[in-house]
Amino acid sequence: MLEKNTALHEKFWEIFNKQDRHKIDEFQTYMDKFAVNFNLYKDGNFIEQSLPFDIVPRIISKEEFAKIDKGLQQRVKALNLFLEDLYTDAKIVKEGIIPETFVKEAGGYLKEFVGFSPSQKVRAHINGIDLVKDSADDEWVILEDNLRVPSGASYPLSIRDTYRKIYPDFFEGLNIEPIKDYPSMISESMNYVNTGGIDVVLTPGRFNSAYYEHSYLAEKSGAQLVRPHELKVVDKKVYFKNYNGKLIRVGSVYKRLDDEFLDPKFFNPDSLIGVPGIIDAYLAGNVALLNAVGNGVADDKGIYYFVPKMIEYYLGEKAILKNAPTYLPYFEEDRKYIFDNMEKLVIKDVAEAGGYGVLFGHEMTAIQIEDLKTIVKANPRRFIAQELIEFYDEKCYLNKELQNRKADFRAYVVAAEDIKVWQCGLTRYALEEGNYLVNSSQGGGFKDTWVMEL
Amino acid sequence: MDQLVTANVATNLYWLGRNLERAKQTLYKISKAYDSIIDVDKDAGAKLFKIFDIELKYDNSVDFLQQAILGEHRSNILEITANARESAIISRHRIDSEAFGEIIELHALFDSLIKSDIEIDYKLIDHAHSLISEIYGALAKREHTNKSDLFIRMGKLVEEADFRLRFDKDAAITAEVIQEIDAIVVVLSEDEEEPAKQTQTQSSDEDDLLSAVNNKITQVIIE
Repeated sequence: MLEKNTALHEKFWEIFNKQDRHKIDEFQTYMDKFAVNFNLYKDGNFIEQSLPFDIVPRIISKEEFAKIDKGLQQRVKALNLFLEDLYTDAKIVKEGIIPETFVKEAGGYLKEFVGFSPSQKVRAHINGIDLVKDSADDEWVILEDNLRVPSGASYPLSIRDTYRKIYPDFFEGLNIEPIKDYPSMISESMNYVNTGGIDVVLTPGRFNSAYYEHSYLAEKSGAQLVRPHELKVVDKKVYFKNYNGKLIRVGSVYKRLDDEFLDPKFFNPDSLIGVPGIIDAYLAGNVALLNAVGNGVADDKGIYYFVPKMIEYYLGEKAILKNAPTYLPYFEEDRKYIFDNMEKLVIKDVAEAGGYGVLFGHEMTAIQIEDLKTIVKANPRRFIAQELIEFYDEKCYLNKELQNRKADFRAYVVAAEDIKVWQCGLTRYALEEGNYLVNSSQGGGFKDTWVMEL
Repeated sequence: MDQLVTANVATNLYWLGRNLERAKQTLYKISKAYDSIIDVDKDAGAKLFKIFDIELKYDNSVDFLQQAILGEHRSNILEITANARESAIISRHRIDSEAFGEIIELHALFDSLIKSDIEIDYKLIDHAHSLISEIYGALAKREHTNKSDLFIRMGKLVEEADFRLRFDKDAAITAEVIQEIDAIVVVLSEDEEEPAKQTQTQSSDEDDLLSAVNNKITQVIIE
């Protein structure tokens, strides 16, 4: 189902219909030429490929985006307060707002960091919050918080640049919010928590799926791009190894690898991509890590359920943006509801990401549903269930014709002294019509997002 | 001028410069040999590749192009441009974006030959030369902006000196090229505890000189 056309959409189509469609091919030429890639491994082979892209942007009015902006600022503020509280006083647990066992069983909860407070007490610096617009009530709904290593912002940034060159008419004729400030938002966040030294973007290396993005953001934010072995820890201080052998002090690290690979001395001793000793430096307050280690507890799909309660608890406010109706089989009452209504719910494995571990009740056979009930009963903390949201489709120009595809929206929220929401985002659409999974790893594509006013 | 570049990026910028210049010089030599094979000297291609210590076999001028560009040897152009592409990807945050795009395109030009039945001809070589000129033009836009750009320049000059020595080019001009390399070494090592001094790289023995030029980079990058 498509969202109702607004005057902004009309203006877009008016210009679109006057454009030379042959020039659309230039977008792919650009993506190939500049290797705007999302790499993957398939059958043991490294494949460099560009993400599928659609030229029809998602259009959000400035007025509508202002509400999203406010809601996201509120949410990320509360999530930061939650993380700081959880790892220090844990009042939210002591006061029974969130069950203790529920927190401690979260995969991303790291008890080794209890009592540690990072630079400026900011923990969720660069965040990707996934939303959809519900066709039932025309409201935006939060689907997921990504507070560890959210990726994707470089794609709309790159494509916007190309769009302006290929079809300048849109940008001359429409009042579209500029978006070039994202790298400076990142730089601002790094500088705010910097403990003294240079800023670096830490990449696992050239064969990582998002290497293009790491490289792009390092260049645009002015940070140094480093691989783990190009950092050295001496006396609990982190140094950048320059080409001439000189060691330069590092004050903040925008890490683009998962916590468990970050430091082989602290986490996984088999990790080949970590920086030995970086956690000691972090715990000594000698370097800032963006995002903080241990954030995984807050973007756990089970903890997501409690975010509206966190907002009330820490800010004394009602959540501006609502969650999708969610049920936890961990609670008996919810479990009963889930078992009675499984065929209309979406069941998610909290340990999975990227669209994996998502089961749609309406697509399952009776036997499969019974099997799933047995699995859920045996390990209720591992699953959540959500009402299926009929979110809007977006028009996509695919194979030279307009087609409808389900699309979500990843908003980027960056915390420094203030919390700011980037006036753009990554709109991801599903590979096939009717498919609800929009993730890149599921073959989905992306489109730009224009925040506009008349 | 910025000072910070990891050894890995510096090495890749240097090898990007070398491989681009290697592709340019090799294509030029291939083009000359091709012309000669047609009706002057059937062995011109074999003689050329002997200088690279490669024994190249071919049936005729067209086959020579095929073997020289895609043949299984270390001087094949596909591999040289693939190496340039890889270095560019690793160090792309330090390269002009237009130059980066042209480098990807240069490799794609040769890579597409394997996936198609297109016959290699002189037009392809001309096209590749144009792309390399465009890459150099784009790189030159910011040549004096960042210190890291000197690594590309150094790689290019080292490769140029290497070719000049191998092909017995005018010694005076070769000496000028080497002098410029020495000057870059001084600039790139000025922050080191014992910076390199402007010394002249000289030797009457061609092999010694070749080896000295090729090892210049080790005076600059400390792993």
